[in-house]
Amino acid sequence: MDGMTHRRGEPRAHPTRRRRIPLRNQPVGTAAGDGPAELVVSEVTVRFAGLTALDAVSFTVAPGSVHALIGPNGAGKSTCFNVLSGVYRATSGGVRFGGAELTSLRPHQVAALGVARTFQNIALSPHLTVRDNLMLGRHRLTRAGFVSAGLRLPTARREAVRHGARVAEIAEFAGVGDALSIPVGLLPYGVQKRVELARALCMEPRLLLLDEPVAGMNGGERREMAGLIESVRESLGISILLVEHDMGVVMRIADAVTVLDFGRRIADGPPEEVQRDPEVIRAYLGDYGRPSGGRGQA
Amino acid sequence: MSEPTPTAATPGRDSPAAGTPEPGAPAPSTPAPSTPAPSTPAPSTPALSTPWPARGTARPLRAVLRLAVLAVSVMVSVAVPFYLEGFWLQTGLFAMSAAIGAIGINLLTGATGQLSLGHAFFLAVGAYSYVFLSTDLGLPTPLAAVAAVIVAGVSGGLFSPIAGRLRGAYLGIATLALIFVGQHILFNAEPVTGGFNGRPVPPMELFGLVFADTPELVVLNVPFGSLERLWFLGIALLAGAAVFARGVLRGRPGLAMNTIRDHEIAAGVMGVPVARYRAGVFVLSSMYGGLAGVLVALVFQQVVPDYFGMLLSLDYLAMIVIGGLGSVAGAVAGAAFVSLLPQLLTRYSDALPLVAEPGSGGVSPAEAARILYGAAVVAVVLFLPGGLAGLATRLGRVRLKELRWAKSAPAPASRR
Repeated sequence: MDGMTHRRGEPRAHPTRRRRIPLRNQPVGTAAGDGPAELVVSEVTVRFAGLTALDAVSFTVAPGSVHALIGPNGAGKSTCFNVLSGVYRATSGGVRFGGAELTSLRPHQVAALGVARTFQNIALSPHLTVRDNLMLGRHRLTRAGFVSAGLRLPTARREAVRHGARVAEIAEFAGVGDALSIPVGLLPYGVQKRVELARALCMEPRLLLLDEPVAGMNGGERREMAGLIESVRESLGISILLVEHDMGVVMRIADAVTVLDFGRRIADGPPEEVQRDPEVIRAYLGDYGRPSGGRGQA
Repeated sequence: MSEPTPTAATPGRDSPAAGTPEPGAPAPSTPAPSTPAPSTPAPSTPALSTPWPARGTARPLRAVLRLAVLAVSVMVSVAVPFYLEGFWLQTGLFAMSAAIGAIGINLLTGATGQLSLGHAFFLAVGAYSYVFLSTDLGLPTPLAAVAAVIVAGVSGGLFSPIAGRLRGAYLGIATLALIFVGQHILFNAEPVTGGFNGRPVPPMELFGLVFADTPELVVLNVPFGSLERLWFLGIALLAGAAVFARGVLRGRPGLAMNTIRDHEIAAGVMGVPVARYRAGVFVLSSMYGGLAGVLVALVFQQVVPDYFGMLLSLDYLAMIVIGGLGSVAGAVAGAAFVSLLPQLLTRYSDALPLVAEPGSGGVSPAEAARILYGAAVVAVVLFLPGGLAGLATRLGRVRLKELRWAKSAPAPASRR
């Protein structure tokens, strides 16, 4: 193993913030030195003007587990993801990840802590090749700035080569190794989804947030994606939090499930248990012929 | 270091890529490699199992081609001052200066998606700083030129709190203010700027070589005046600026910039400090503007405030749209087009229909040029996504592909 993840050169970029993060001198592809950390979401509330998108939601993602966040449309799942990744600010409540409070950080600072995410609607650069899109995932692990990239200093070149090799490795792992030199926009949807997951993996994350990873896929693609997510967990041992509508996939790969409805948590626990929860069944199927549990749901 | 890498951990996964045994295997439904334009819809193909065979043969060919192009362009650019008259040299120098500025604004607008209407301001800062620093402060001219570029960068940096926070077109509107502030200062701060009539520009003096007409210099029986000498300076500056920008675009900052343009939120989530990058690109772009200003001042030999107005900014936007957004080659091609066109029309106005001599009341060559490249912008937007540079690469790719197929077509049937 070489020093593929050694931070070297380029003192220029991101001077102060980096120092809080442990150096990552372990082989690339493993989680950070201190291993996957616990993600504790406590009493997070998000309001947009009068609308309460999340109402005092709490749950905990155990280190190294696959945790699913499910719920009907508009339940607040994506809002929750946006809070976790720093895109939205929580109105109140806190998110702790391995000793750091995420709610006050900006997205790139959250990323610097080793939190990677994918998007419900693919957010890749369509004109860039798969390799370039994945190289963006190395952004937080690389240093080259305007000057060293513009002058093509040896440090920048070496860095690009080293991380390029690692990117190829991850692409191979995600099953997009043959597509490295193809512009992303030319690839089919299912492959683009994989590229997005691969890009998140390129950040060498400790926590992976997957927003509907199998949405819009056919049966075969779903199975492959679910297999990929499982092998990510097995080989990297990182925590994974995923939002998903496909119950088959959720029941297959999740260790724990949190159910949201109208911004509130209505169930939390192992998949089998949650599946039988009357509240969850009501949320998904409606409560016809049954006295409602006092929920003012239309 | 014992941890398993992911590749090692999943040898037997049933992914499509793992399912394709050897790269040389025939893939019947495979489309021709290198689909023409990135904008074409994705063919419904198992793209992952595509072997992409022609890649290897393309590389040496492309390298040879690139070397040949480089050699020819060096030869041409060295030979030009020996054969062309002053008018063409001056036109070429304007084009070079425009190209440097256009590369700068293409980094900002094309690659990062941040509109700027204030580029002319930074050209003015560069040009006037050079004059002020060399004449009034008595700095040696090369030092004054470098300092002028830095001053332009600093003034971009002063604006960068705004440039970092505003997105796309909003920044364009904010930078509009720079033009008016700049024009006001240029016309009114007479001790520094010389007011309406501007100021004369001291010639550059580099290692004892003065970029002026006065100490006579004859090379190979060709009198080398200021334009001939500046030509080489311009070539060197443009080459340096282009190489640097290419490095930035292809390196880590370029990827971050492109992602900010394509998906701002995704860029942030992937660890790119979006505001800092926007500010940084703005500073870099204004330094390119400053350098273009210095060069244009040296060619003009007089700086006048009128030149650095709104229209210049719009010219720069036209350049990058016509040439191709986001690439260095596009900026250069667009700059050549936009700055050569009025000169050509002026030169041949008597032979052209509908174009009158300047001052005779008809459509002047400058106006005609504006109309023409306005039409060119529309045409490019409608028919040439990617601009002139995109057209060139598309043509080049077709050629290369044909060559490749001729040499080592693995399965001509799959060419579709």
